[in-house]
Amino acid sequence: MKPALLTRNFCIIAHVDHGKTTLSDRLLEYTSTISKRVMTDQHLDSMDLEKERGITIKMHPVTMNYPAQDGKIYTLNLMDTPGHVDFSYEVSRSLAACEGALLLIDAAQGVEAQTVANAHLAFAQGLKVIPVINKIDLPSANLELCMRQLEDILTIPAEEAILASGKSGIGILDILEAVVTRVPPPRWTDYPTTRMLVFDSKYDSYRGVISHVRVFSGTFKAGEMMMLMSSEQKSEIKEVGMFHPGMVKCRELGPGDVGYIVSNIKSVEEIKVGDTVTHANKPAADMLPGYKEVRPMVYCGLYPLESDDYEKLKVALGKLRLNDSSLIYQNESSVALGFGFRCGFLGLLHMEVVQERIRREYDVEIISTYPSVVYKVTKHGGDISEVDNPVNLPDPASILEISEPTIKASIHIPNEFLGDILTLVMEKRGSCEQTTTLDGSRVMLSCTLPLNEILVDFNDRLKSISRGYGSMDYELGDYRPSDLVKMEILVNGDPVDAFASIVHRSKAEGQGRALCEKLAEIIPSQMFKIAVQAAIGGKIIARANVREMRKDVTAKCYGGDISRKRKLLDKQKEGKKKMKQIGRVSIPPDAFIQVLKTNS
Amino acid sequence: MVQFPTAQEKAEPPLGLYVHVPFCATTCDFCAFYQTVPQGDAVARYLESVAAEARLVDWDGRRVATAFWGGGTPGLLRPRELALLGETMLVHCGGTPAEWSVELAPATVTADRLRVLKELGVTRLSLGVQSFQPGLLDALGRQHTAAQAYRAYELIRAQDFASVNLDLMFALPNQSDEEWRTDVTEAVRLAPDHLSTYCLTFEEDTALWVKLSQGKVKLDANKEADFYLRTWELLAAAGYAQYEVSNFARAGHTCRHNLNTWNMHEWVGLGPSAASQFGGWRSSNPANLELWLAETAAGRRAMSDRAELTNDLLAADSVIFGLRMNDGVSVPRLQRRFPTPRWKQAQNFFPQLLLEGLAVATPEGQLSLTPRGRLLADAVGAEILEAFAEPANAAAP
Ligand SMILES: Nc1nc2c(ncn2[C@@H]2O[C@H](COP(=O)(O)OP(=O)(O)O)[C@@H](O)[C@H]2O)c(=O)[nH]1
Ligand code: SF4
Ligand SMILES: [Mg+2]
Repeated sequence: MKPALLTRNFCIIAHVDHGKTTLSDRLLEYTSTISKRVMTDQHLDSMDLEKERGITIKMHPVTMNYPAQDGKIYTLNLMDTPGHVDFSYEVSRSLAACEGALLLIDAAQGVEAQTVANAHLAFAQGLKVIPVINKIDLPSANLELCMRQLEDILTIPAEEAILASGKSGIGILDILEAVVTRVPPPRWTDYPTTRMLVFDSKYDSYRGVISHVRVFSGTFKAGEMMMLMSSEQKSEIKEVGMFHPGMVKCRELGPGDVGYIVSNIKSVEEIKVGDTVTHANKPAADMLPGYKEVRPMVYCGLYPLESDDYEKLKVALGKLRLNDSSLIYQNESSVALGFGFRCGFLGLLHMEVVQERIRREYDVEIISTYPSVVYKVTKHGGDISEVDNPVNLPDPASILEISEPTIKASIHIPNEFLGDILTLVMEKRGSCEQTTTLDGSRVMLSCTLPLNEILVDFNDRLKSISRGYGSMDYELGDYRPSDLVKMEILVNGDPVDAFASIVHRSKAEGQGRALCEKLAEIIPSQMFKIAVQAAIGGKIIARANVREMRKDVTAKCYGGDISRKRKLLDKQKEGKKKMKQIGRVSIPPDAFIQVLKTNS
Repeated sequence: MVQFPTAQEKAEPPLGLYVHVPFCATTCDFCAFYQTVPQGDAVARYLESVAAEARLVDWDGRRVATAFWGGGTPGLLRPRELALLGETMLVHCGGTPAEWSVELAPATVTADRLRVLKELGVTRLSLGVQSFQPGLLDALGRQHTAAQAYRAYELIRAQDFASVNLDLMFALPNQSDEEWRTDVTEAVRLAPDHLSTYCLTFEEDTALWVKLSQGKVKLDANKEADFYLRTWELLAAAGYAQYEVSNFARAGHTCRHNLNTWNMHEWVGLGPSAASQFGGWRSSNPANLELWLAETAAGRRAMSDRAELTNDLLAADSVIFGLRMNDGVSVPRLQRRFPTPRWKQAQNFFPQLLLEGLAVATPEGQLSLTPRGRLLADAVGAEILEAFAEPANAAAP
C-alpha cells in the first residue's frame, strides 16, 4: 500500500463554461491517464444531456499518477462536481472527499455567481483553494481585473493565482505541481477506526449498487462486513476498486484512497450520499461530518400524454430512481390529465433533467403540471404540516399561517441592468440586502426571494434583461410566513384540479387572469356560454369566456340523410366519451396539455 | 292528466315514396350521393328492378301522399324511360300523389322530358342551379352553364308546374359576400316558388374533401355563419319564408314530402341507396347498382343499416330533426305519439336551450330554435341524442 502522504484529493470548481471539463481533460492527458487517441472531447461529461447543457450532473472520479518535480510519484484523485445549485448537497459531499480545490476563473469573464458560491462551499469544507485564471489565451483576457476580483470578492491573495489555458495547455504543469505542494495530504488518517465517505452511488443491472467512496481511515477489502452508519445496515463488501479512469478492481482501499465498492446492497436509496461506511465488527464512534437527508424542494405532477404510456412512465421513473435517490414519486390522478405521478425534485434543474431524460431515454411523451414548492402550514390548533400539492391544502378557515421557502440569491450583472433587475426582484416579491461593486462595470446583488417565484421564468428573465450577461446562484434560505392562498381554476363553475395553485395573494389576480384567458382560448368553442374563472375560497377574482360556437348545422338533411346524420351524432357522442368532462363541458384532453405547455 | 289524440293525429299518417335514380353524366366535386355513369343496358335493368322492388313492398292498401324522385340525375332518363318509371310507380300509389317532386339538372331539361313529367302528374320541379356565376360553377365541377340554367327555368315555367324550386349553394371556396348576394338576387328575380340554399358541405369521399384535406381549401365556420344569416335576411325581405335550415318558400309552396320526413312519418324508398322508414323499420338499399339489382332479384329489399323504429328512437329523432324546422316541435304532441320514459331527461335539457337563448317555447309546449340555435342544430341534436340515450333512472348510480 502506498503511503497516504503521496495522495492528493482535489476537485475543480468553476462557473459554467469557465473551462472545467477542458482543463480536466488536459490533466488526464498530461498524466497519461488517458491517451490522446481515445480522448473524446470532454471526457468526463458522459451524458449527452450534460454536454448539451454544459452542466455536469453526476460526477465521476479519476485517479491519476503524477511524477512530481520532487522525484516522487503522487496519486492524484480528481473529483468532478456537478455545477448546479440543485445539487449543492452532492457538491458539498464531493468537496468533503477532497483536501483541495482548483477554482477556475475565465480570464475574459471574471468572477461570476457560481464562482463565488462554489468558493464559499470549498472554504466551508476547509479545502485549500488554488485559484486558476483560465483561458488566458483569449485576446479579451483581463488578468488584472481577475486578480483584483480574487482579492476583493474572494479574499484570496492574487499572487497565488496560476495562469492557465486548458485549451492551449498553458500552466498545466504548474497546476499539477500546485496540487502536490499546496493541497495537504489526506486528513483524518489516524482516526482509530475505519471510515469512508460515500459521495455517489450508481446502479448497475449486473452488479447492483456501485458506490463511489473516499477512505479516511483504515482499509476496506472484499469479503469484509461493512456497516452504513446512518442506518446501521450491514452488508458484505463484494469488490473494491479504483478509476483509471475505467473501474479497475484492487485488493484494498486505504486511507486517502478514492475508488468504488460493490456490496450486497440492491438499491441506491439504501446507501445514501454523505453516509459514512465503517467496519461492522469494529464500528466507528462518529460519522464523518456533514451528512444530511436530502429532501425534495420542488414538486410537480408528471402525466403521460397518451394514457397508454402510463406503465412506460412508471418504469422510466423506477429506472431513473435506481441511480437517483433524490428523485421521489408516488401515484397521483387528475380529472384533467388522468393517471400519473407526483414527483419531488431537488430543484428546477433536477426537474428539467429528469423530464428530459424520460422523454429521450425512455421515449415517453409527458406533460408536467405547474411546479410547487413545499409549504409549511400551521393550523389553529398548532399542527404543522408540509404541503407540496395545492390539492392537499387544508381548509383556509383552519389555517393560522402558511410559510414558504426562500432562497438567498447572488446575482451578478453589468451595472447598466441594475435598475431593471431590481424591478424584477421586486416583482418576484424579493428584497435586495446588499449591492457589491465587483469592478467598474459589474455589480453583485445579494437578494432574498421566495423559491416559488423563481420556479418558472426567473432565470430566463434575468438572462433576457441582462442580454445574457447576468448570472445567478442561490442557496436555500429559511421559511417565512407569507400571505399565500389557494387559487382554483373553474370551468363553468367546476374546478379543474390540474390548474390549482398556491400563490401569493398579490399575484393571484394577474396569474388567474392570464390562466383563464389562455384556457378560454384553447378550449374549443362551445354551444353554451362557458366561463373560465379563477377563484380564491369561492370568490371569483378573474374570468374569461370560452368562444361561443357559431355554426354547427348540416345543410342537407332529407330522408336518406337521417340514418347517416344519426350515425354522425352517435359518433360525436362517442367522441365525447374520450374527452375530459369538467361538469357538462367536454374538453379535449390536449387542451389542458396545451395550456400547461404554453405556461411552462 | 290524460291527453286525447287530436283529430289530425287520428287521421291516417301520410306516406311518402322516394325513388332514387342513380345516374349522372359526370361526378360533381361536392357530390356524395350514390350515382354512376349509365352504361349498356343499365337503365333498362334499373327500371325493371324498380318495378320488382315496388312489388316487394307490403303497401297494405296505403295511399302515397307525396312522391319524390331524386338522384343522381332523374333528368338523365330519356322521355320514354321517365314515362315508364312514372307508370311503374303509379301502380302502387293508389292515385296520383298530391305532391310529386322531381329533381332536374339544368343540362338535362328539355321540352320533351317536361311534357312527359307534366302528363304523369308531377307537381313540383327542383332545378339544381347552384350558382349563376361561371367561375363558381366551375369550382363546383358542375356540367352546366348559367345560360343553360336560365333556359331550363324558362322551359319549366312554360309547362306550368304547380311549384318550382331552385337549388343554390353558398360558402363556396373563395366566394365573396357580394357574389352570393348576386346569386340570391338573381334567383329571386326569376321568382321561383321555393328556394333551397345549401351551405357547401365537405362530404367524405368527394373531390372537394380531398382538396380540403390537402389544405387547398379551408373551412371557416364564422364565414359560413355569416353567409347563413345573410341568406335568411335576404330571402325574408324578398318574401320567401324560411321553414327549415336550408329551405324557403312562398306561401303554400313548402315541400310536404320533406316536411313529412322531418316529422318522422313513413316513406318507402326505391332504388339503390334509397332509405326507407316503413313498417316498423328504418333501413337502406345498398349504395351500389349491381348489388341492389341482385338483392331485388333475390326478392330482398332495404336490408342495410336496419334500425327498429322504437318509440325511443322516434322520440329522439322527431325532436332532433323537428327542431331543424322553423316551426319546431310540439313537445306534448310528440310525447303522445312516441311515449317513452326518456322524455324526462330531454325535458331537463330543454330549459337550458331557452336559458341560453338558443330556443323559445310557447305555453302550449311548441319548442323552436332561434336563429342562433338553428345555426347550432347539430350541436343541439347531439345533446338531445345524449339526453335520450339512457333511460331516465340509469343516469344516476
Ligand atoms: N479560448 C479558450 N477556450 C476555452 C478554454 N477552455 C475551455 N474553453 C472553451 O470554453 C467552453 C466551455 O468549456 P468547458 O470545458 O466545457 O467548460 P465547463 O462548463 O466549465 O466544463 C468551450 O467552448 C471550450 O472550448 C481555454 O483555455 N481557452
Ligand atoms: S348531378 Fe347531382 S347527383 Fe349527379 S354528381 Fe352532380 S350533384 Fe351528384
Ligand atoms: Mg463541463
